[in-house]
Amino acid sequence: MATAAGTTSRDVPLPSGLVCRVIEAGPGGDAATVVYLHGAGGVSEQDEILVNLARRWNVVAPMAPGFRDLAELGEIDDVHDLAIHYEEVFGSLGLENAVVVGHSFGGMVAAELAAHYPSRVGRLVLLAAVGLWDDDEPVADVFGVGVTELGGLMWGDPDGPGARAMREGLETIDVSDPKVVDELLIPMMQGFSAAAKFMWPIPDKGLAKRLRRIAAPTLLVWGANDRLVPAGYAARFERAIPDARVRIVPGAGHMVPIEVPEEVIAAIERFLG
Amino acid sequence: MKFHAFHLMPYPNLPDDFRQRYRGVWVDLPASELYDPVVGHRVYHDYLDELEFADQMGFDGICVNEHHQNAYGLMPSPNLMAATLTRRTRRAKIVVMGNSVALYNPPTRVAEEFAMLDVMSGGRLVAGFPVGTPMDTCYAMGQTPTTLREKYREGVDLILKAWKSEQPFAFNGRFTQLRYVNVWPRPIQQPHPPVWIPGGGSVETWDWCVQNGFLYAYLSFFGYLRARQVLDGYWEAVDRLGAEANPYSAGFIQFIGIADSDAQAEELYAEAALYFFNRCLHLYPGFTNPPGYTSVATMRKGIVGQVEQAARRAFADDLTWPEIVDRGYVVAGSPETVTERLSDMADHLRVGHLMVNLQFGNLSRETTMANIERFATEVAPRLRDRFNEYEDRWWPTDTLSELARPAPLGGEA
Repeated sequence: MATAAGTTSRDVPLPSGLVCRVIEAGPGGDAATVVYLHGAGGVSEQDEILVNLARRWNVVAPMAPGFRDLAELGEIDDVHDLAIHYEEVFGSLGLENAVVVGHSFGGMVAAELAAHYPSRVGRLVLLAAVGLWDDDEPVADVFGVGVTELGGLMWGDPDGPGARAMREGLETIDVSDPKVVDELLIPMMQGFSAAAKFMWPIPDKGLAKRLRRIAAPTLLVWGANDRLVPAGYAARFERAIPDARVRIVPGAGHMVPIEVPEEVIAAIERFLG
Repeated sequence: MKFHAFHLMPYPNLPDDFRQRYRGVWVDLPASELYDPVVGHRVYHDYLDELEFADQMGFDGICVNEHHQNAYGLMPSPNLMAATLTRRTRRAKIVVMGNSVALYNPPTRVAEEFAMLDVMSGGRLVAGFPVGTPMDTCYAMGQTPTTLREKYREGVDLILKAWKSEQPFAFNGRFTQLRYVNVWPRPIQQPHPPVWIPGGGSVETWDWCVQNGFLYAYLSFFGYLRARQVLDGYWEAVDRLGAEANPYSAGFIQFIGIADSDAQAEELYAEAALYFFNRCLHLYPGFTNPPGYTSVATMRKGIVGQVEQAARRAFADDLTWPEIVDRGYVVAGSPETVTERLSDMADHLRVGHLMVNLQFGNLSRETTMANIERFATEVAPRLRDRFNEYEDRWWPTDTLSELARPAPLGGEA
């Protein structure tokens, strides 16, 4: 898997005593800075969303608490604690009025941060974000499906190459190989466990009533074929956020920033002006 | 050794093409399509009769347990079953295996109900505190898997403190806050009934049981041959922590079918065993391993949870009777065969408390009753002396010598 040129990772100490792993990548120079908050799948230097964004912007990607070590969640009990944690991350990185792009679970985190601390977020981009609930169009239970069904939920085309690669990858995992357990399975389960702490059993923790507080102009990008968080949720976010616009990408699914990176980057470019 | 009749109280009328028509037996299986309450009425009473008969036949304990939203075991409230058993049994201890502590809000509810059961039964209660399966706790009852164990441990601490405390106290927990904890009634057994922890193979549970003097019971559906890894882990923990390697600190569950001969065993038990393994254990894999339920330490140890084992199996082909018997999922055959295999089990697992499932799947009342009688008269006596050199400190000692007697029913008097 590819890594963007000049990618670095560092550990940033926070006032809480926790340490935040931050990955940075991008062209440097005059390029604007974009903060990327990752989904339940985690973030690494090879993260395709990070790599795609880093072609155009200087990307700062803090790893969510718990993803590296579940013990980090000891004092982070709910989304309010989580927003406080991210406020400290942004403070420690000197980020004020930042452009924040969040995908899926990271979209929920970005929206919570922008609602709790409006001055930290200058522009907000939510890509297929979780955080709301509609009885008529429920968010899929991403933690209640067999691993082999996950690919079908993630990609716009459930039989396309992305879904197939994911399905085959997960089907052929050798759980008896300690290397596979340590390098793949445990990090994946840790990330899912950490995200699940804030999403279980329904990923609606009151965000709907807080969205009105978001001061940042907001762009909502959804794949029309998102089977995890159906595209109808874009309109729900749009209605509740004071200054919001929607871009629905035909054919794409929940992994919209990986499925159609050019269109997502172009939409963000237009939005940032 | 002590022997306890364990009942899951399964739904016996799942259709033959159940596996083809439904993705799983638990969580989202529609009750309106499959559960007939009139059948339910009959089998609840059959099952209670069976446990009451086990009491009469001299079993040491009779066991009930808690499961939710499934056809595998129809006791969302084991305490209701235990309550009715206190009135129609006299000798057997009532082993509630148990209450999934994190599901009770506040957990002092468990301290209250268990104390009621202990008082009603005259001090015959064994208090089981399971975490609960992922299907029950995380999917059916909505608990967050990431914090489930922490909440469970805090709840157990609260219950034990409520039983032991001489005075009302305040409890400022992370998951429960109570200004006044003051449980009525208090149990007959002082300071509290023996605590048994049914575990599915989580490594943290071993140390916790040893350090707190709880019995560790490995509840596996897959027989004693597969249980070695888990029980070995437990005995290693006992050794490492310097505790006594007392077989009565450990329990195990085994399905058993007794017949005149090994050949007749197939005739009597094969259909019910296949019903259990191919229908009652038909689990949807998506509901078996919620993220955070299995600790990193357990994952690293490579112990696949019992539930996940079952789910992996569920998507494989149907099991056959020879496979079920050869692998020890069901110990079946003549009394001699069963005795021999259980003796082998006792040698290898060193468990002093054996819970036996003598009804499983859709096994009929008649066959179950015969199975109970034959186990009590033809197998248990030959194994009872095992581990006699050890003291059982995990068993009720304060049971009243004279129990109150329910008045005869008016119509029968």
